Amino acid sequence: MDSKKKILLIDDDKDFLMATKLILEKGGYEVFLAEDGHSGVETAKSVNPDLAIIDMMMETWSEGFNVVSQLRTSESGKEIPLIMLSAVDLQGPYQSFEPPENLPTVDMVLHKPIKADDLIKYVGQLLEK
Amino acid sequence: MIEKNDAEHILIIDDEESILDGCRQALEKSGYSVITTSDGPDGIRIAREKKPELAFVDLKMPNCSGMDIIELLTKDLPGIVLIVITGYASIVSAVEAMKKGAYDYLPKPFTPDQLRAVTKRGLEHRFLKIEADRLREEKERMEKNFITFVSHEMRSPLVTIQQYIETLKVIAGDDLKKEVFEIIERCDKRIQSLQDLVEHWLDLSRIENGTFSQAKESLALVNILEKSIEELNPLCHRREIRLISDIQKDLPNIMGDQESLLRVFTNIIGNATKYTPAGGTISVDTDFDDYYIYVKITDTGSGIPQDKLPFIFEPFYRVKGKDERQRGSGLGLTFSRKIMEAHDGKIEVTSKEGEGTTFILKFPRLYEL
Ligand SMILES: Nc1ncnc2c1ncn2[C@@H]1O[C@H](COP(=O)(O)OP(=O)(O)O)[C@@H](O)[C@H]1O
Repeated sequence: MDSKKKILLIDDDKDFLMATKLILEKGGYEVFLAEDGHSGVETAKSVNPDLAIIDMMMETWSEGFNVVSQLRTSESGKEIPLIMLSAVDLQGPYQSFEPPENLPTVDMVLHKPIKADDLIKYVGQLLEK
Repeated sequence: MIEKNDAEHILIIDDEESILDGCRQALEKSGYSVITTSDGPDGIRIAREKKPELAFVDLKMPNCSGMDIIELLTKDLPGIVLIVITGYASIVSAVEAMKKGAYDYLPKPFTPDQLRAVTKRGLEHRFLKIEADRLREEKERMEKNFITFVSHEMRSPLVTIQQYIETLKVIAGDDLKKEVFEIIERCDKRIQSLQDLVEHWLDLSRIENGTFSQAKESLALVNILEKSIEELNPLCHRREIRLISDIQKDLPNIMGDQESLLRVFTNIIGNATKYTPAGGTISVDTDFDDYYIYVKITDTGSGIPQDKLPFIFEPFYRVKGKDERQRGSGLGLTFSRKIMEAHDGKIEVTSKEGEGTTFILKFPRLYEL
């Protein structure tokens, strides 16, 4: 068995980070946390994660997209699978917000809360590829 | 009150030069900035360019209809106050002009004082209208912000709690005593109800302020009904309730929004499962005539007391009774009725305590023109 795969988790909700971290650790991963987009990008540079999970809505409703763009253009985040988390259905008031231009692509979008089994399953699938 | 730091612009369109001169003098004396023209098309051009606060338009001009000017300016410049100048005894055309968007009329001949009084009233009206519009927009904006606030600030903690519960189950599930595990499961259920309540409430608020997005496309009810039945089949199975359906394959299409109708059906059939004991039956059938398409959902459940029936569509209303353990937001039927109304449809209910309940959803038929 080689060393544990590294997962970077970016979300501005500390409790959500804790809860999700424990599930991922139980799944056998090494987990790194970042509480905002900026430190998320920085952490990616220093730890070179194998996969990153990013919350869509942080300081602004679309901060997650900015983080994804930055990761996608950086050396450490260019190739890795990215999962976007969202808690809002993009209905109602959010519809009227302009989505950021050139929406960056992620490998998967998951809705909060996430079932532990699903999370482990999807992360495993994305890392296998 | 109207403040005159920037002089208000007043346009006068009249073919009689003497009237133009008289008006200009009277109004300039009161501090207004006055533009005049004796030519209709020229007046329209000036109005579009200078956007005066108020315009006087002579209804009878030789080569141009004042009525047309009124119509055009009302459409082009929503903020402008239009006042028609009419010859005596032509009240009828003044009324017509007001129907087309003029605010007031000034019969000829008039004195400078009358002119100034009408002008003052018109401008005050404009000011009040602008103020009212502003307040209405402000109110709508606040409502929208509130919905945004709720959807983020209330959902986030709920989601996080759910995630914690999920985590607890995963990392400590095997070590927990059965009783403790049960408590956790109960927390999970209660949080889920709270979450549903928030979702329902958000949906209703969105319908009310018009931000609930609804498509209008031609839909086969058959598909939506089958989907909804499929969704509820496992639940009925577990509760030992028979769910039978008789849906006509030749049911005509309706105009509507698939997602919200699916939720309406699931809501109503879901209610039936909540209030029907094991061994009971829920049946879904359809019918149509020249005017309407009917979806009928009947259960053999506890029924609803006659005196409670009128209230079940009210927000947060729940019938109190033996089914206390059935959780709900009390918003499901409110939502369903709103959605039916948005489809020009109706929702009707009949019920007999101890025997069962029937909901009938009525959709208007769609005819290709
Ligand atoms: N099929 C049914 N049989 C008996 N009672 C019903 C049925 N459907 C609705 N009700 C009554 O109407 C009330 C309002 O329904 P609803 O708005 O869907 O809220 P809830 O979330 O409480 O189900 C329910 O609390 C229940 O008492």
